[in-house]
Amino acid sequence: MKRMLPLLLTCALVPANAGTAGYVDLPGGEFRSAVRYEEEGDRLRVVPFALMERPVSNAEFAAFLRQHPQWRRDRLPAVFSSPGYLGHWESAEAPGPGVDADAPVVRVNWYAADAYCRAQEARLPSFLEWEYAAAADARRTDARDDARWRTRQLDDGTPRAMDAAPDAPANAYGVRGLHGAVWEWSDDAASLPGAGDRRGADDGDRLKYCGATALAFNDREHYGVQKRFALLTALQPGDTLGNLGFRCARSSP
Amino acid sequence: MNKLWTLLLAAALPAIAVAAPARAQDLPGDSVYHVQAATTDMDGRPVPWSSLRGQPRVVSMFYTNCHLMCPLIIENAKAVQKRLTPRERARLQVTMVSLDPARDTPEAMRETAHLHRVPDGWRFLTPVADDVRAIASVLDVRYRMREDGSINHTSVLVLLDAEGRVRARSEVEGAAPDASFLTQVKALLAEP
Repeated sequence: MKRMLPLLLTCALVPANAGTAGYVDLPGGEFRSAVRYEEEGDRLRVVPFALMERPVSNAEFAAFLRQHPQWRRDRLPAVFSSPGYLGHWESAEAPGPGVDADAPVVRVNWYAADAYCRAQEARLPSFLEWEYAAAADARRTDARDDARWRTRQLDDGTPRAMDAAPDAPANAYGVRGLHGAVWEWSDDAASLPGAGDRRGADDGDRLKYCGATALAFNDREHYGVQKRFALLTALQPGDTLGNLGFRCARSSP
Repeated sequence: MNKLWTLLLAAALPAIAVAAPARAQDLPGDSVYHVQAATTDMDGRPVPWSSLRGQPRVVSMFYTNCHLMCPLIIENAKAVQKRLTPRERARLQVTMVSLDPARDTPEAMRETAHLHRVPDGWRFLTPVADDVRAIASVLDVRYRMREDGSINHTSVLVLLDAEGRVRARSEVEGAAPDASFLTQVKALLAEP
């Protein structure tokens, strides 16, 4: 019995949300999206929500795996099958010294990202929520009319991206890394207009044809949004990429 | 000391809950019941998604405020059931899962079941809000909430075997059942 005590104490002392990054509140409101969601207008309502200040790190994801070992790469069931899932980590449970513990975790599939957020009583942000938060630069909540700033977004998802450095400034909302070296999953990645296989959807045939993704924009000047949109719509939930991570969001009460 | 033990036991409970999926070890790797999600049935009782394991079933996702495709999904599933022998019918469960937890309360689900005169034994489940996407993803149901409160969604019947493996899909286009889907349902029910 004595031997069990330290174990039980460990359980008692680890709070459910140990090691999670902080959340930043975003006010929401009417937002002009660059994406055309079928027959909706270009002004959409963003409900107030909270978003993680930074993407989930390797260290945070390793902590999640200790509590939810079914998401380790050596235990992942085939239904979430995922070539390359956490393949860059040294072992199934830890990134190892060759990987920066504080860097965003990558090579995680949608299912694992979704499970991580749900375990924090959160969820993945929608693409619209990401676009709304990522419209801000360090000074302005909507910097999208600035052509130079928009052009710099061509580097999103690469090491040259404007928010790639760990000390890059937060945006006007206080969120960091939205235009960073890694892309991020959205909650609705598989259901974006033009995404994958639309057979059986009751939203008409218009968007299921080749090249339809190009039709899905209100504003083609928003390269960063388009690149990210094209990437996410090309992925299946089980896919992983070396520059694709995630962060979580919470609906405001 | 007694108090301390109560505390420690309370702390240990989550550990026991984590150990419980020992049974999940023998779940086939490709089972959709690996998704951990919480739902409520139309009597307000909690139904873990994984507890649906054990019987072949036809599953679909819908929402009660939907007046065009969703009634067709229900009629289509009823028509599949009607084409089965009584023995087959007794083996196959039908489960409708909500895409709209905010509005699909147990009362709303009961009302829809009543309105469409669904046979006894059908289950209407409303997932916890943040759990809807995980169930939809594993069933390959795509959906998007629209500004007007309607939902664009894949209208599909998914046939699962008792272990939760996807055996067939039928895209719903009308009230009449898809012949090849029906054949696959009957084939699954004929298995020992």
